[in-house]
Amino acid sequence: MKPLESEWAASPAAALEDVSFTYAGGDREALHEVRFELRPGEMVGIMGASGAGKSTLAKCLNRIVPRFEDGSFRGIVRVGGRALDGERVCDVASMVGMVFQDFEAQLFSTDVAHEVAFAMEQIGMPRDEIAARIGPALAAVGLAGFDDRDPTSLSGGEKQRLAIASVLALKPGIVVLDEPTSDLDPEGKAEVFALIHRMRGPDLSLIVIEHEAEELRNCDYIVLLREGEIIAHGPPAEIMVQLELLEDCGVHPPDVNRVMDALGMHAHAKSVEEAEKIIRAHFPRTAATTLVSVEPASPPPRTPDPRTNGERAEAFLHVENLSFAYPYGPRVLDDVTLEIAAGEFVAIIGQNGSGKTTLAKHLVGLLAPSAGKILIDGHDRATLRPAQTAHEVGYVFQNPDHQIFAATVADEVAFGPRNFGLDDAEIARRSEEVLRAVNLTGERNRDPFLLSKGERQRLAVASVLALRPRMLILDEPTTGLDYREQRRMMALVGDLNRAGIAIVMITHTPWLVAEYARRVVLMRKGRVLFDGGVREFFERDELLANSSFRPPEATMLGRRFGFTALGPEELADWIKARA
Amino acid sequence: MPIYLYIDRGSIVHRLNPTVKVFALFIMFWSVYWVDHPLALLPLGLVMVALAQLTGSWPNFYRLRWLFILLIFFTTLAWMVFYRKGPALINTRIIHLSRASLVFGFGRGLKLAELLATSVLFLSTTKVEEFTAGLQRLGVPYRIGFAITLSFRLVPLFIDSALTVVQAQSLRGYDFNRGGPLERVKRYVPVVIPVFMGALRKANNMAMALEARGFGVSATPTSYIDYPIRARDRVAFAALIGLGTVYFLIYYSGYGGISVK
Repeated sequence: MKPLESEWAASPAAALEDVSFTYAGGDREALHEVRFELRPGEMVGIMGASGAGKSTLAKCLNRIVPRFEDGSFRGIVRVGGRALDGERVCDVASMVGMVFQDFEAQLFSTDVAHEVAFAMEQIGMPRDEIAARIGPALAAVGLAGFDDRDPTSLSGGEKQRLAIASVLALKPGIVVLDEPTSDLDPEGKAEVFALIHRMRGPDLSLIVIEHEAEELRNCDYIVLLREGEIIAHGPPAEIMVQLELLEDCGVHPPDVNRVMDALGMHAHAKSVEEAEKIIRAHFPRTAATTLVSVEPASPPPRTPDPRTNGERAEAFLHVENLSFAYPYGPRVLDDVTLEIAAGEFVAIIGQNGSGKTTLAKHLVGLLAPSAGKILIDGHDRATLRPAQTAHEVGYVFQNPDHQIFAATVADEVAFGPRNFGLDDAEIARRSEEVLRAVNLTGERNRDPFLLSKGERQRLAVASVLALRPRMLILDEPTTGLDYREQRRMMALVGDLNRAGIAIVMITHTPWLVAEYARRVVLMRKGRVLFDGGVREFFERDELLANSSFRPPEATMLGRRFGFTALGPEELADWIKARA
Repeated sequence: MPIYLYIDRGSIVHRLNPTVKVFALFIMFWSVYWVDHPLALLPLGLVMVALAQLTGSWPNFYRLRWLFILLIFFTTLAWMVFYRKGPALINTRIIHLSRASLVFGFGRGLKLAELLATSVLFLSTTKVEEFTAGLQRLGVPYRIGFAITLSFRLVPLFIDSALTVVQAQSLRGYDFNRGGPLERVKRYVPVVIPVFMGALRKANNMAMALEARGFGVSATPTSYIDYPIRARDRVAFAALIGLGTVYFLIYYSGYGGISVK
């Protein structure tokens, strides 16, 4: 490992000196002799796979490691020049603020003003001072005037901004954001990253942990971790072009870098606009033919989508004029009509609260419509209990931990078939089949709670698959997974689809929609705003703008050349063919 | 569904000092405790109705209406089984319906309902932060007061997660309502384990976030809102002392109980 040399200013905002840490009961070091310096006013991005040590490194700065997390710790952590030996977590709170991924677990108060006041009260700040700081802290995160609101009534993005405000109110020199947007919809994510960039200033150093490299392109410095060691570090321009290394470290490389790499260019672009310029300079003929057609007047050249195989098959699921409202509540679904055929791959997208999950819960019978009806294979959904259709429509919940309970992986998978009274031979046959499908055969006898998040998610899929449904609904199947796990999960979903299972995937992740789905259903305020092909969807600029759904960067870049690409490789091939 | 019962109405009760409100909670419990007869409980019930009207807490009572109705109904019914005193109108091996058992059972039901109503009134008019401040003022250590108030926040989160788990398992064909009573309890294992594991994880995350916000630096944190004692607080305090004394005297002088002739 290369140590960070002290070419920087004399007094860093924080420094880790040869820090190693092993969690109690852990079989390997979570951090191994990490040397790391943070300069005042600098924004550093930390990237790496799940379990690479990103959070552990960040938690060293505010003493959660080793004071809160048990384990063996070696090395020195300095904040503002002071070594933190013997300090408690709370002692460091006013110097190092930390914002966590789980926004539900970091809000404790009944109104927004109290939430911001909380940390200041804890450190015993005088009342007048607290009152004077609440307003500016809320204004800084764009929540001015929210003082009396109940934090539980805020959107995800607002909750996370509130958590940031409550940390900023202490005026710490360092703020650490540990995957602050993984649980947010695209709008919330954009809000939070816009805020993070606004927060930058000479008096505040920022550490942002993230596995979407795109979001960290504007950092001053990137640190890449693998298995507890810093494997690469440097300015974004140096790190972002090492695509293989990034992918190997479970990080999603920026689309624009992937396009340029596939075009044989070793270049870095900070934005889609910059990438366009660089590519046009290298491929002048592409530029010459389409330079003016950023917004083509004639329909863009449509290459046939290799993934749509002609006409749609007979509909397996009919949703007719479905409306739903909770008692005394507003309408959550409003006149939804939809058909899904066997073997389709549909992505349901839309902001939080747009009705995606409510719709999905209707399809499996967890909710009963206020009006309208649903037919499954010609049968009225209303006449069937949820369990009766479990072998027709399977539902994988967003959080695998909401269903895992058995002592072994094999028992977990066998749970469903056993409930349906299948004989042991059949259960064994199905367990084997689905564990192979999700690549967990070797883990058959392990305790599910000891698996990684990605493995638990695949186990949840397996245990639903064991009922051999003809259609699978996946609610945010990639939340909380790193890039490698996301790819593995989606490869599995793709295989299942090719084997004939219809897939309905609720997701916020643009590139999943572009690269895997064949059809998009966009929802807003309980209504279906768009229902059609993926490429067609990404061509509807005004629709995208209204739904605050940002296409993947490869698609945005492609649109600038007049081609709606669904992935970096596809775009690169298209450009090469025209070069 | 809102997590808290607090209804922001700004009534005079809302504006009382939190310490007085915590004291009121205690005095109401105290008064209810000493008497059994429905007639003795009736004045307290009327006070609560007046307070519900004054504080605008009816929506919360409406939300919990079934709980109140079932509480009174089943308690009355249950005491017909266990309270076997007085001349019986109906006497079978299970049910003993007499004037005394009816009055006693109804009194017990009313008592429980009044304890619940007091709590609903308290939570409708008191923010969690005020509750902590009130407890602290009464000498409860900050950490304990905070833990009590935090539990109010956790319960709805756990209920939410339990509902999701029940849905997830029922979609895997699980039938919770099979077998006898013992078997049914056992059948909740696939729910209890995920909820419990989730609760542990949540509690751990919360504890970490709390410490990262400085929880624990000081045993007596400051409070950003000042809660001065005003004239209305003194009046309320005196009235509560009076109420508590009257109810104790009712008990002490032998009234308020149920006599079986």
